[in-house]
Amino acid sequence: MNTPRECHSAILSIGVAAPSLRLPAAQVAAGWGRAGGRGQVAVCSPSEDALTLAWLAARRALDSASIPPEEIGGIWWGCTRAPFAEGPSLSFLGAALRLQTNSEAALLSGSPHAGIDALLAADDAITSGRVRTALVIASDSILPALGSGLEAASGAGAVAVLLSAEGPALLGQVTTQWSPVLDRYRGDLETETREVYDGRLFREQVFLPLCQTVGSALTADPSSRWSLPDPDGRLGRTLGERLGSVKVVSTAARSELGDTGAAAPLLGLAAAMGDPGTLIAVGFGGGRATAISIQINAPVPGSSLVEQHLSGGQEVSYTEALRCRGQLSASGETVEMAVPPGSAMFVRGSHEMLALLGARCLACATVNTPPNVHPTCISCGAIEFEIVPLPLHGTVQTFVVNQTMPAPFVAPLPLIVLDLEDGSRISVQGASDGSDLHIGVAVDLQLRRYALERGVPIYGYAALVSTASENTIERPSA
Amino acid sequence: MKTPGPWNKVAVVGAGMIRFGELFDQSYEQMAAGAWRACRESVDLGLDPSQVEAMFVATQRGTLWGQEGIGGNTVPSAIGLSGVACTRIENACPTGSDAFRVGAMAVASGVHDVVLVIGVEKMRDKSAEEGLLARAAGGHPIYTRGESAPVLFAPFATRHMHEYGTTKEMLASVAVKNHYNGALDPFAHFQNEITVDQVLAAPEVCSPLGLLDCCPQTDGAAAVLLVSAERAHEFTDTPVFVAGFGVATDHPYLHEKQDYLGLLASRLASTRAYEMAGINPKQLDCAEVHDCFTITEILDIEDLGFCEKGSGGAFSAAGETAIGGSMPVNTSGGLLAKGHPIGATGIAQIIELWWQLREEAGPRQVALRNGYALQHNVGGRGSGVSVVNILTRNAK
Repeated sequence: MNTPRECHSAILSIGVAAPSLRLPAAQVAAGWGRAGGRGQVAVCSPSEDALTLAWLAARRALDSASIPPEEIGGIWWGCTRAPFAEGPSLSFLGAALRLQTNSEAALLSGSPHAGIDALLAADDAITSGRVRTALVIASDSILPALGSGLEAASGAGAVAVLLSAEGPALLGQVTTQWSPVLDRYRGDLETETREVYDGRLFREQVFLPLCQTVGSALTADPSSRWSLPDPDGRLGRTLGERLGSVKVVSTAARSELGDTGAAAPLLGLAAAMGDPGTLIAVGFGGGRATAISIQINAPVPGSSLVEQHLSGGQEVSYTEALRCRGQLSASGETVEMAVPPGSAMFVRGSHEMLALLGARCLACATVNTPPNVHPTCISCGAIEFEIVPLPLHGTVQTFVVNQTMPAPFVAPLPLIVLDLEDGSRISVQGASDGSDLHIGVAVDLQLRRYALERGVPIYGYAALVSTASENTIERPSA
Repeated sequence: MKTPGPWNKVAVVGAGMIRFGELFDQSYEQMAAGAWRACRESVDLGLDPSQVEAMFVATQRGTLWGQEGIGGNTVPSAIGLSGVACTRIENACPTGSDAFRVGAMAVASGVHDVVLVIGVEKMRDKSAEEGLLARAAGGHPIYTRGESAPVLFAPFATRHMHEYGTTKEMLASVAVKNHYNGALDPFAHFQNEITVDQVLAAPEVCSPLGLLDCCPQTDGAAAVLLVSAERAHEFTDTPVFVAGFGVATDHPYLHEKQDYLGLLASRLASTRAYEMAGINPKQLDCAEVHDCFTITEILDIEDLGFCEKGSGGAFSAAGETAIGGSMPVNTSGGLLAKGHPIGATGIAQIIELWWQLREEAGPRQVALRNGYALQHNVGGRGSGVSVVNILTRNAK
């Protein structure tokens, strides 16, 4: 007997993020000389990964709740495999989100179940009273094994929710079930995730039994709307039928992005959080399944932006996708960054780069960027500063588009001098091909992966021409 | 430097260079020896090598050929002067012109009477990707990431076009003029004429700049001999004097510029040089300015006071900077056609002016009215370093 337990926290807001590329499954099939292939999956560009997607979803959740980052008590991040397989993934994300450096933080990983793990751990922290506001993030962008079914099924995406004791949506019953079985797998010496079991063995003995057990153990009324895991694009529908032809709302996100792994349970419900009623998310991975019910009493802030934030995306060929995933690269050496990741410079400068900080002169208010190379104000020569977060919005003062770049750079690469909202100025890369840039256009800054240097991800900010929705979001003061 | 001009304490009595180009067949040392030989042979009344008391070597980027940091003793050895006092100077794109300035100060100070200034740069020993383009991965890991050389100047083109209506055709007129001049210069890397249409049709490199808006990557070496003015006539009857110079810096990051319409370092350096020489821009007969990109020459001629700010494009397109124009600029072909072996560049510009002021420039010769000529470089991160040297054929 699987008896439900209870959660006690509430959702204040939600944000989602999708990578910028879409790979049609037919392209993957054609790449292997096969016909057919239905649907598409989302693919990260070379400057995107599970951390940058997590950042974007979290920023959007914070913006929608109008809660400044310093009020967040902690982050719980679920990610099958964070960009640093071992390393500071969590502190990098926390720094980029400008959280207090003494806030709680936990990284849950190892399987796509990590997203649910993060939600439950954060719920505990709220329920215990230890933390007032918790940021839960689930994101994934796995590297699928070449030739495996995962190539046309595994996508990428991120979702973030802010939890507190009270809010428009209440977490309710939870049921969980585990079994010592394999599902998708990546060993220590492997770079890519692969499938292990025969498809029917996985479906009948692993996936459906676990998910069915947790789903049917919940007390769900027939009007409940469900987010169901769907590793291959068909299992979700079958699971819905086995659960009694329940109403599945996760299909839209699944069709747009593919299987988003750790992000899938909450991502599948995100748009539905705009309408009152009962939602149920089922998470699966690592031989575990968990179902959780969420009662929506009023539209969750951010839910109305979900559809827009998941749509769009530029279609790419299979070859381009392989290049973006690092599975196809030119022979020969690439140009090395002059400052290696092991340099003390990164110890001194990492936080100010990730949090995009400037040094505001106490005498003349000029913002000097970056702070650690500016001991003296460039405008007035004073030496006392206040460290300030720079706005993530501005307008283009001038720009260029590099059309010829040595590897590992990818051209076209715009470089932009940006006038930020507070009057300060920085130079950053552009995240588009540059064709949408002109002097005076409004842009937003997003965390992006600037390089994968000697195997270590290096993050910075890149500018994208503002979309209407980003402009209309009410923003907490920086 | 507050000394009122003219400051003719130092004379240039020898000047020689090798033909610039992709010199795959010559080592750094062989290029240096070639420039030294040409310089030595140019001294009208002869030079005994033992007369050279000190040397300044201009090499900007030894990493481009894998031998960072040793120019200061490599070059004396390569040219048969091992043992001589020698110092390597590095100051970004003005490396050569700054070595010249430092050499002049060494002579003016009275410490040395005879100084050799030699610029040598190997730009093509590494592949294009591993060479200068690799600077895109240098500097600050975020704030200068992707900052290839054109990125220092192309943003100014974008803004100059936006603000003043400067056109791509106007930019192209600079490349066309400098290639025309280069075709007349036996030392130039490129010795072919081009058309505006060719410039406009060239592949984009760093929008809005195309391939022919950019100078090539060039190997080269150039050398000049500086002596005290009092002793100039031991070496030649037609010395050229150092009338003045100026150096200036600006903040290194692109986002720290006052504006994107001109280069503050060039304005400051030239103001100081004019003041020291006691002249104004109208008194110049010609100039060699830093045209690493077409937009750079347009910024230069405004910043150096040859025309009004914002009018550089029209001034160039109207032919005012051509050899027969009101203010001939880059008669040598400039960096765009002659090439830009960084440490050698400034010295080679001085050599062109030396020929012009001695009326030895052949088909490139300009009419001398006042006997003054200006040399200019600008570069480094954020184009934050500029050096201007002013030469004259007029004795004190």
